[in-house]
Amino acid sequence: MSSQIAILIAVLLFPGGLFALALGLGLKGADRRIAARLQGRVGPPLVQPFLDLVKLAFKRTMVPTTAHDLVFLGAPLIGVVSMLVAAALVPISGVYSPAPALGNLLVLIYLLLVPAVVLMLAGSSSSSPYGAIGFSREMALMMAYEAPLVLIVAAVAVRTGMAQGHWVTFSLTEIVEYQRTHGLFLLDPVMWPAVAAFGFFYPANLGIVPFDIPEAETEVLEGPLLEYSGPALGLFKIMSALKAVVVIGLDIALFMPLPLDGVPAFLGWVVEMVVLMVAGVTVLRISMGRMRIDQAFVFFLRWPLLLAAASLAVVVV
Amino acid sequence: MSVIERLKTMATKSPWIYRINAGSCNGCDVEMATCALIPRYDVERLGCQYCGSPRHADIVLISGPLTRRVLDATLRVFDEIPDPKVTVAVGVCPISGGIFRESYAVLAPIDQYFPVDVNVPGCPPRPQAIIEGIAQAVQIWRERL
Ligand code: SF4
Repeated sequence: MSSQIAILIAVLLFPGGLFALALGLGLKGADRRIAARLQGRVGPPLVQPFLDLVKLAFKRTMVPTTAHDLVFLGAPLIGVVSMLVAAALVPISGVYSPAPALGNLLVLIYLLLVPAVVLMLAGSSSSSPYGAIGFSREMALMMAYEAPLVLIVAAVAVRTGMAQGHWVTFSLTEIVEYQRTHGLFLLDPVMWPAVAAFGFFYPANLGIVPFDIPEAETEVLEGPLLEYSGPALGLFKIMSALKAVVVIGLDIALFMPLPLDGVPAFLGWVVEMVVLMVAGVTVLRISMGRMRIDQAFVFFLRWPLLLAAASLAVVVV
Repeated sequence: MSVIERLKTMATKSPWIYRINAGSCNGCDVEMATCALIPRYDVERLGCQYCGSPRHADIVLISGPLTRRVLDATLRVFDEIPDPKVTVAVGVCPISGGIFRESYAVLAPIDQYFPVDVNVPGCPPRPQAIIEGIAQAVQIWRERL
């Protein structure tokens, strides 16, 4: 019974739920503000994403007459719930490790797929031609970035597993523990290609320029989100804020968990998070234009896939 | 102040803007884009954001004299914007037809068709004037929430 309550707290309060939401909105706010500063503007206040959510709560949700109501309104809910669970699956080195009953790395990989699938559902159920274009682009992009992700995760899992005498381990807790005692994978030359590949993966997963092709505002008018308004759109914003925490948290857990304990470990984790967000998202976002979908597809199946495969090959051999 | 009132005040700090071009000569549109896109008149610090979809919008900026051709399309797009919304007419064209006023093809003034809340005159208006129009629109929006 008490373990169930612990899981509930992990999903709803810390490190998932409210905490992850606050952190995710903070990261988005920092992203917008720093982007503005780099462009020589003042920029919105840090709490802007939160204000946007409050605003959306006061608006009316409109459902297009040709849309499928149940799928149209259910899609964002599924997305938010999947990300809540995923956020509870990401360990924070020295502070939190997920209960084995909740799941392991494989579950997390599947949950990371859900937002993309939800966006596809949203796009296709809205019966808008722009949504349909967004749907097909989302699908192509997902197939492109999912392949490197699997290889990156395999490289880390095999590396940790072999060092412990069996083949692979998919427990994030064990991966973090191993790095705490044997040194970070970030400092291990064998893993550098995988680290770089993850650096390409997470901007794509978070859907920012140059990989925001499915939601490109200037060409397909936010694609799958085009028909959403009010609270339903707010749920998508919540989903993407949580996703930022999950994906960057996964990056930290896989490659750079700090060997600290207690409060310093927690603060270090937050700092790592902000640094990765600013370096990998903000700077990239404002310094590049958008790729075409075919360019992005070829790009992912060439460089990140090759890098991740290189790491995996060296680890296995 | 009750919690709801407080939340409403917070909500007005995030006005999302949508532009409708109702046959404008593009002069006004350039000025509107200028407002948000160049550092000098950064309106993102007020929480403003241009959005591509009418469904995300709170404040509508309409420019142009409303040509007969775009009337239906414009009305349809306008209906897609969820309530509560505020309408700002930018330029002298929506008020009187401006330099196009004697044409058989324009339907200005546009307040025959749209509930215009704020007029920003000028041909084209200065960015500062447009920002002031947006600020007034935010106040009207606060009352409608
Ligand atoms: S007001 Fe002037 S600048 Fe604006 S659309 Fe009319 S003619 Fe063009």
